Amino acid sequence: MFKSEELEINLGPQHPSTHGVLRVKLRLDGEVVVACTPVIGYLHRGVEKICENKTFFQGQVWTDRMDYVAAISNNLGWVEGVEKLFGIEAPRRARYIRTMLTEMNRIASHLLWLATHALDIGAMTVFLYAFRERELLLDLFEAFCGARLTTTAFRIGGLREDLPPGFIKQARAFQEVFPDRLEEYETLLSENRIWKKRTVGVARINAEDCIALGVTGPVLRAAGVPYDIRKAFPSAAYAEMDFEIPTRPEADTYARYLVRLAEMRQSHRIIQQCLDGLPEGPVMAKIPKILKSEVNEVYHAIEAPKGELGYYFVGEKGGLNPYRMHVRAPSFVNLQALPKMIEGRLLADVIAAIGTLDVVLGEIDR
Amino acid sequence: MPPMTLLQTIVMGLIQIVAVLIVVFIMVPLLTFAERKVIGYAQVRLGATRTASGRKGFTASMNRGMWAMGKVPVLSFFRGLPVFIADAVKLITKEDIIPAKADRAVFTLAPILSVVAAFGVFAAIAYYPGVMFYMPKNWPLIGGLPFNGAIADVNVGLLFILGLASVGVYGIVLGAWASNSKYPLLGGLRSAAQIVSYEVPLTLSLLPAVILAGTLNFKNMSVILATGQGMSPLAVIPLFIGFFVYLTCGFAETNRVPFDLPEAETELVAGFHTEYSGMKFGFFYLAEYANMIVVSCLATAFFFGGYYLLPFGLQRIIPASVPFLGQPSFLFFMAKVSLILFAFIWVRATLPRYRYDQLMEVGWKYLIPLTLVNLFIAAVIRYAF
Repeated sequence: MFKSEELEINLGPQHPSTHGVLRVKLRLDGEVVVACTPVIGYLHRGVEKICENKTFFQGQVWTDRMDYVAAISNNLGWVEGVEKLFGIEAPRRARYIRTMLTEMNRIASHLLWLATHALDIGAMTVFLYAFRERELLLDLFEAFCGARLTTTAFRIGGLREDLPPGFIKQARAFQEVFPDRLEEYETLLSENRIWKKRTVGVARINAEDCIALGVTGPVLRAAGVPYDIRKAFPSAAYAEMDFEIPTRPEADTYARYLVRLAEMRQSHRIIQQCLDGLPEGPVMAKIPKILKSEVNEVYHAIEAPKGELGYYFVGEKGGLNPYRMHVRAPSFVNLQALPKMIEGRLLADVIAAIGTLDVVLGEIDR
Repeated sequence: MPPMTLLQTIVMGLIQIVAVLIVVFIMVPLLTFAERKVIGYAQVRLGATRTASGRKGFTASMNRGMWAMGKVPVLSFFRGLPVFIADAVKLITKEDIIPAKADRAVFTLAPILSVVAAFGVFAAIAYYPGVMFYMPKNWPLIGGLPFNGAIADVNVGLLFILGLASVGVYGIVLGAWASNSKYPLLGGLRSAAQIVSYEVPLTLSLLPAVILAGTLNFKNMSVILATGQGMSPLAVIPLFIGFFVYLTCGFAETNRVPFDLPEAETELVAGFHTEYSGMKFGFFYLAEYANMIVVSCLATAFFFGGYYLLPFGLQRIIPASVPFLGQPSFLFFMAKVSLILFAFIWVRATLPRYRYDQLMEVGWKYLIPLTLVNLFIAAVIRYAF
C-alpha cells in the first residue's frame, strides 16, 4: 500500500552553507545520503584561458580571483612560477616579506574556514570572533598593497615597494594578540560536547584514499601524512624558517579542526621569525621590462592554505604570454573526496564535510 | 460580593484576555530586540542600533558626541528598539506568496494552528495567585469586580496547557507537508519526530511537580511548590533535576538552539517555513517566541519558585511575615521569566546544533530514563516523608 522511494534533493547552488555556488545532488533515504554528486562550474570564468592571452605581468591579477580568500598565496605561486620559468631570483628581503604575507594570508584563510565551518554546525559566535581577527589581517594587507581581498601583492622579481612605515609595528601588535584569541576559539569549541559530537568520527577519509584522490593540505595531514610543500619543496624563505607540520591520525572532521588550529599557531611562529630576522636590502631584482619566453615548461607548486597549489606554464619562442597555463587548484581536487566522505551518512554530515574540506568555488571553477 | 452576571463575566474575561494579549504582543517584539542585543554583545558587536530618528534630535546629537569621544554611546543601545515596528510593518505589508503546487487550505491553516496553540496556552497561566486588583468602583457594569492573576483558573490547568501545546506541532507538520517542497518536507519530518519524542520527557519532567503538589491547578501548584507547604525539604532534589530536564525539553519543543533542527538554517535553508512569506511566516515567528515565553512561564511557576523569591521550594526559609521578600509578587514572576528567556538567548549564542540522530539519542537514552528516576524519587519523597 505504501511505497517508499529515495528523495532526490539539490543542495545548492543557492544554499546557505555550500560556500558559494557549489551544487551537490543528493539522493536521500530518509536523512541518510545514498549517493552524492558535486556539480561545479557555476563560477567558471576561464581564468587559465584568459591568462594565456595576458602577459606574464598581467596574469597575476587573475590569480587573485581564484581562491579569493587566499589571494596572496595564489600570487606567490604565480610569481614564483614565472620566476622559475625565466630563471629570475628575488632578493632575500623580498622573499622574507613574501613568506610573512603568505603566512598571514594562511591565517586569514583558516580563520574564514573556522568561521564558516562553525557557523554551518550552528556555533554562530565563533563566526564573528574569527572575523574580528581576520579584520586585523586585512588591515595589514591594505597597509601593504592597498587592497584587502584581491591583493596582487607581489611582482615578478620581488615586490613593487618595500613595507610601508608602521607595518612592522602593526604586525607585531597582531602577533601580540593572536595567540590569546586562538585560545578563545578553543574554549568555545575544542571541548564543547556538541561540537565534538558533530565532528569526531564524521566525514572520515583515510590516508590511502586521500593519496589516491590527490587530496592535499590539512585534509591529508589530518589523515596522518606529514606532507607539506613548505618542507618538501621549500620556496620563498621557507627553507630558513623553523616550523613543524602538525598532523593527526584520526582523519575525521575534528582532526582537521585541530590540524588547522595548529597550523595557525605555526604560521604565527613563521611570521614572528620573519619579523625578527627581516634582512635589509633591495626588494626588487633587476629584470627586463619585457619578458619573452623560450620553449620551456615549468610546474611550480606551493602550499596554499587549502593544499597543493600548482602552476604549470608552457612557454613558446619569443612569447609574451604563456603558451599554455594550467592551475592545479587544491579545492578542486579536494572536492573529489566529498562523496567518499559522506555516502551512507546523514544529511547534517554533508554540511560538516563541505565545511571541513574548506572549498572555495572561485578556485574550483576558475 | 454578589455573584457576577453572565455579561459581567464575559466583559471581565475579554478585558483580561486583551490585557494578556497586549503583554504578550509587547513581550514578543521586546524578546526579538533582546535577542539581537544579547547575541550582539556576546559576539563583540552592538546589535541593532540604527532605527531611531534621523540625524537630528537630542539622542542623535548625544550619540554623535559620544562617538566623537571614542565611546560607544549608551543611548545607541535603545536606538535599535524601533526595529520591531519595522519588522511588523515589513511582515504585514510583504507579498504573501502561496506556491502553485501547495495545498492552499492547509498551507493557510498551518500558521493559524501554530499561533492559536501558542497563544491559547496563556489562558491557563496564572501570573499572580489570586486577585491582582479590583476595577474602580465608579465604573459602570464592571465596577468593583476582581481582576484575576489568570484568565481562566482551570482545575486541570497543566493538562490543558500540555494538550494545547502539543497541537502546535500540527502547525509545523501540516505547513511543511502543504508546502509541497523538499526542504520543508525534511524539516517537517524532523520536527514531527523531535517534538513528539521530546513531549514524553517534557511531560514526565513535570510529573514530579504534580506528585509533590498533589494538584493540577496551575495556581495551586505553583504556590505549593514555591512555599513548600506540606512538602518534605528533600523535595528540592526532584524539583532541581526536573527544572533542568524541563528546560532542556523546552528548548527542543520551541525549536531553539541546540535543538533547532526543524529550521536548521545551514542544512534545510529555513526548514518547515521555507516556502512561507509575509504574515504567514510572521505567525510561525510569533508562535516560536510565544512558545519560548510559555516554556519560561511554566519553568518559573513549577520549579523556579513562581511568584516567590526563592526557587525549588526553598521559600520556606523566609517567613511570610517578611515584607515584600516573603510575599508573592508579580515582579518576581516576570523577573524569573526574563532570566530564563535570557538563558534561551545565551545558549543560542554559545552552542552548536545537534545532529538528528544525536538529538533522538539525547531524548530517548538520557532524558527519559532521567525523568523516570526523578519521578521515582519524587514518589518516594511524597510517600515516605
